[in-house]
Amino acid sequence: MNKLPIQCPSCESPLVVSKLSCNQCDTEIAGNFTLPVLLQLPVEDQSFIFEFILSSGSLKKMALKMKKSYPTVRNKLDDIIEHINSLKIT
Amino acid sequence: MKTLLFKPFEKYQEKQLLIVGIAATIMGVSLAHILGGRFDGALDFHLGNPVSIQQSLLDSSINIFCLISLLFLAAKYLNKKTRIIDLVTTVLIARIPLYFLPLLTIGGAVEKATNNLLKGIGPENIGNIQGNIPTESLMIIMVFVIASLLLLVWSIALMYNGYKIATNAKGNKPILIFVLALLLAEIMSKTLLFL
Repeated sequence: MNKLPIQCPSCESPLVVSKLSCNQCDTEIAGNFTLPVLLQLPVEDQSFIFEFILSSGSLKKMALKMKKSYPTVRNKLDDIIEHINSLKIT
Repeated sequence: MKTLLFKPFEKYQEKQLLIVGIAATIMGVSLAHILGGRFDGALDFHLGNPVSIQQSLLDSSINIFCLISLLFLAAKYLNKKTRIIDLVTTVLIARIPLYFLPLLTIGGAVEKATNNLLKGIGPENIGNIQGNIPTESLMIIMVFVIASLLLLVWSIALMYNGYKIATNAKGNKPILIFVLALLLAEIMSKTLLFL
């Protein structure tokens, strides 16, 4: 599957969803829908959050799974939190 | 390899780092005692000053205590979430390069070269300093100085990387605070050791 673009390649502004379609019956909905905050994160961060949920929110388990130290994983989470907060403000 | 030598804190769990750090400290304390040197400061090692194993252990304990407490204070100031265990492992691992310093003195060549140098620059030779210092002694001292500096730089680089990971520090402010904490640790350890 293609990677979901989240930034305009021309002016680097955040992209919005203008069309949704049903593969089953070809219904199309046009409008102006903002991407959810989680989808605005880079794919790497989305995978981290996904793995974090699968590890029941345990950074220790995440560290063992990722073969990284606990503070490295915690720093990654802190950076994602900071990024989400900045996206929520804008 | 680069991660292992300079950023082990990025990859290895605190238990592994703690075990290696404690083992290395025991080895460093024993080497300093056996080979007749002294870690008489947070970032110091001096030759030709043999001390008992108890004194050697006390020296290293004070050095480690000062570094951990000052770096922990600095880290807490930057990031409230910092854990003390990450600074403990940082200091223990970062001191490993310094434990190679006593090994450089094996055979007594450095001590002999230092004595020759001191003899050569004594008041009786003031008129002919250049001619009284054997080139071989100068070379030995130069190699020792360069090797010591490289080991010190390696140790500080390890300490900074550990501190950076423990605090998730970014920008220039954490560098200044780190330098300040290191200098204060050196002053504090020197003061405690010579009380």
